[in-house]
Amino acid sequence: MHKEESTLDLGTIKIHKNVIASIASLAALEIEGVRKIGKDFKMGLWEMAGRRSYSSVKVMFEKNDEVCVELPLVIRYNFNVLEVANKVQENVRNALERMTNLTVRNINVAVQGIEKDEASSRQS
Amino acid sequence: MRFFNSLGIVFYATVITIIGAGLIIYSFNLLQPAQISDVLVYLQSGLNTRLIVGLSGLLLILISFSFAQLILGRFQSEKTIAFTTPSGEVTVALSAVEDLIRRIAVLLPEIRELRPDVIAGKKGLMVDLRVILRSEANIPELTARLQELTKSKIQSALGIEEQINIRIHIAKIITSEEKDKKRKPQSGADPVEQQAGLPYGGYGRL
Repeated sequence: MHKEESTLDLGTIKIHKNVIASIASLAALEIEGVRKIGKDFKMGLWEMAGRRSYSSVKVMFEKNDEVCVELPLVIRYNFNVLEVANKVQENVRNALERMTNLTVRNINVAVQGIEKDEASSRQS
Repeated sequence: MRFFNSLGIVFYATVITIIGAGLIIYSFNLLQPAQISDVLVYLQSGLNTRLIVGLSGLLLILISFSFAQLILGRFQSEKTIAFTTPSGEVTVALSAVEDLIRRIAVLLPEIRELRPDVIAGKKGLMVDLRVILRSEANIPELTARLQELTKSKIQSALGIEEQINIRIHIAKIITSEEKDKKRKPQSGADPVEQQAGLPYGGYGRL
């Protein structure tokens, strides 16, 4: 698994891809209108096997310490998909830059589905 | 990645060709069942051969999974609408648009079931709606309302100005009689018959 390294006077700091994926997921979930993080095929397989630690957020390190994040999302019903996606991109970029000092190149959002909240769907 | 894709395709073609050739050879009586049996017995005879067979099976399963993922991933990536924003790209799966349309059925009580199929083309979005209605619905008025509602929902959710073509296909109209028929067996059926439906319900009565 690739890790982002930055060398300081006292030693090396390595940031694992999973850390970046976690920051991105949490930042995305902060946005109103995001129902949950989507799933991919691998995540489905891991869930079938009883493991839930796998994250479907993909992190890629590009040249010049730039990061690319691919974020699958499920959006809440009655929200503007593009508006929510834009807010997610902004929030994820801010969170990653604030917490890791990395330069974020692209945050690609893939909207996989639209769902209602459990409470509101039960009422209807 | 292309190398692995080609490798997977070549592998599958080889396996299927071998199976096909084996079946042809078998049909021409060039291969006797005893010979196949000998091979199978030999494969099970030693620990090494069993190990090789087991590992080959595991490898085949892994290759199948990765191949399935590749194919599914390709299908998923094709069925999206993409928007470019300053921070990156936003892709909306057509299944998400279908989810959105499916929710409209709740807003219109005359609709019993709504099955959308969305296709993105050069001319814009093509939405096919397969609808099951309740009998009391006024079809022209309802379909017009459904088209309007679908269009406005997609436009408000995705913010797209492109052309949206909505085709409605009414697959079935459920009458109140049909509804009653479904209910009758529960209320009017013979109590013995009802119990017979339960596990051991009618046991020992005849």
